[in-house]
Amino acid sequence: MTGREHARNLAVLGLLALILIVLPHSLNVYLRSFAMFAMMYVVLALSWNIISGFTGYTSFGHVAFYGIGSYVCAILVVDHDWPWVPTLAVAAVVAGLIALTIGYPVLRLKGPYFAIAMLGMAEGTRVIVTVWDGLTHGGLGISFPSTENSMSTYYAMLVVMLVTIAVAYGVGHSRFGIRLNAIREDEGAAEALGINVTTYKLAAFALSAAFPAAAGGIQAYKVLYIDPSSVFFVQITIAMALMSMLGGKGTVVGPIVGAALLYTAQELTWVNFPTAHLIAYGLFIVLVARFMPRGLMGFAIDRGWVRKGMVH
Amino acid sequence: MQSSPNGVLLEARDLRKSFGGVHAVDGCSFAVPRGKISGLIGPNGSGKTTTFNLLTGLTHPDEGRVLYQGKDIGGLKPYEVFRRGITRTFQVTRIFREMTVLENMLSVIGLGVPDRIARERADELIDLVNLTRLRAEYGGRLSYGQQKLLEFARALMTRPDLILLDEPAAGVNRTLLQQLLAQIHHLKEQGTTVLIVEHDMNVIMNHCDWIFVMDHGATIAEGPPAAIQRDERVVEAYFGRRRATADHAVR
Repeated sequence: MTGREHARNLAVLGLLALILIVLPHSLNVYLRSFAMFAMMYVVLALSWNIISGFTGYTSFGHVAFYGIGSYVCAILVVDHDWPWVPTLAVAAVVAGLIALTIGYPVLRLKGPYFAIAMLGMAEGTRVIVTVWDGLTHGGLGISFPSTENSMSTYYAMLVVMLVTIAVAYGVGHSRFGIRLNAIREDEGAAEALGINVTTYKLAAFALSAAFPAAAGGIQAYKVLYIDPSSVFFVQITIAMALMSMLGGKGTVVGPIVGAALLYTAQELTWVNFPTAHLIAYGLFIVLVARFMPRGLMGFAIDRGWVRKGMVH
Repeated sequence: MQSSPNGVLLEARDLRKSFGGVHAVDGCSFAVPRGKISGLIGPNGSGKTTTFNLLTGLTHPDEGRVLYQGKDIGGLKPYEVFRRGITRTFQVTRIFREMTVLENMLSVIGLGVPDRIARERADELIDLVNLTRLRAEYGGRLSYGQQKLLEFARALMTRPDLILLDEPAAGVNRTLLQQLLAQIHHLKEQGTTVLIVEHDMNVIMNHCDWIFVMDHGATIAEGPPAAIQRDERVVEAYFGRRRATADHAVR
C-alpha cells in the first residue's frame, strides 16, 4: 500500500472519529448505549482477528480476557477505591500477561485442539473467579456505586476502539503481520524460513488479549454489576468469531464491518422479534457460511473490488 | 573425504534417525564442498528428505552430528539454522497459499531489514523468476511450476550461503526447468553452495559437480557424475543385483 493510500485511510479513520466524537450529544441514552456496545464489539472482533484471523489460531475462549478485564476494573474500583479509567490500562496489562503465560503451553496446540483448550481455559477462569470469594466476591458478583456514566463509557470505548483499529491496521499492513499470516498458512515452512514462531504467536496472542480486557472493564462500569456467568459468557466469544467471519477474518476492515452489521442485526431482531431472534441469527450464519465462506471482504476480493494482499 | 576441511561448508557425520522401528537415516555421512553444486540421490525411501530435515533442524538426529562451517548445528531449531545462512525448498511446495507472491517473498526477510530494501530485493527476485505479472496474485492460484519458482525465489531472499533444493525439477515443465537450472548456475557463480535432491538424472548428471548416493539411509558412494554413472553399487541400489551376477553367485 502506498503512502498516499495510508494517508487516505488515516483521513477516513479521522473522519469517523470526528463523527463519533460529536454523535453522542444528539443521541438519547438508549442509542448512546447502543453505539457504545457496537464499538465494544468492534474492539472484540478486531482483537480476536489478530490471533485467529491473522495468525490462524481460532480461539473459542477469548471471552476469558474480557471477563478478566471486567473483574480487574470492578475489584480495583469497588474494593480499592481506584478511579475507573486507570483500571482499564491495568486490565489490559493483566490480560496480556495472562495470555503470555497460558499461551506458552496452549499455543503449541493446533487447529481444533487449540480451540478446545481455549474453551476450557475460559470455563476454568469462570470457575476460579466463582470460587475465589476473597478476591472476586464469588458468585454474588460485584456492584458498582450507581452513577450516570453513559457519556464517560461512550468516550472511553471510542478511545479503546480507535487504538484497537490503529493497532490492527498497523499489524495487518506490516511485515510483522505478514509473518503472522505465514504462520497461519504453514507454520513448519514459516519456521524453516527464519520465523521464530513461538515469539510471534505469543506477541499476537498478548495483543489480542489486551484490548478485550479494556473493553470488559468499560462494560463492567457501564452496566454497574458483574458476576461470573455474565462476563464469562461463551456467547461473547462466539460473537467475536462470527463478526470476524462475516466481515472477513484476516482483514482489518472485515471485523469492523462484521461487528457493526451483526450487532445492529442482533439488536433489531431482538427488539422486533424477541422470540424469533435466535432463529433469524442462526439462519443468517448459515447463509453467510454457505454463500460467503470468506466473509464480505473475501467476497469483494474474489470479485476484484478489493485488492488481494495487505501490503501492496 | 576428498575436499580439504576449509573447502567443506556442511558436513554430516554418521547421522542416524529412526521413526519407531524404521531406520530412515542410518549412518549417513558426507561433506558438501563450498561453492559447488552437489547432488544427493538414491532410490525412493532411501532417506534423502529425512536427511534434509536433519540438516535444517526440522527433525533432530538420534545420533551423529551436523557441522556447518565447523560448528555443530544438529540441535538447533529450524529458524536458527536459517539465520546461519541455510535455506531450503520442499519436495511438495510449501508456499503460503492465501498470501500474494510479494507477501510470500516479504515474509522471509527479518524485521530488522528496512522495508524499502526488503521490497527491492523481493521485486528483483520476482522478476528473476518471471513472476512479475503475478506479483499481486495469491500463491495458491499459481500453477505448480510457478509455485516451485516462487518457493525457489523465496529461499533466496536472504542471500543464503547454502541452499538445499528438494526435487526442484519435479512437476516443472521444460521451459521453466531450464530457467530454474540457469538460476542455480547463476547462484553458484555468485559463490552460493547448492545441494540438490533430485530424481531427474539428466539434471543430476549434467548440472552437479559432485554426487552423493544414499541407499537404506546410508551414503554408499560419492564422486563426480561420470564416476557415479559407472559405479556398481549405485546401479545395484537403483536396479537391484544384476541377474547374471546373482546366478553366478548361486552356482
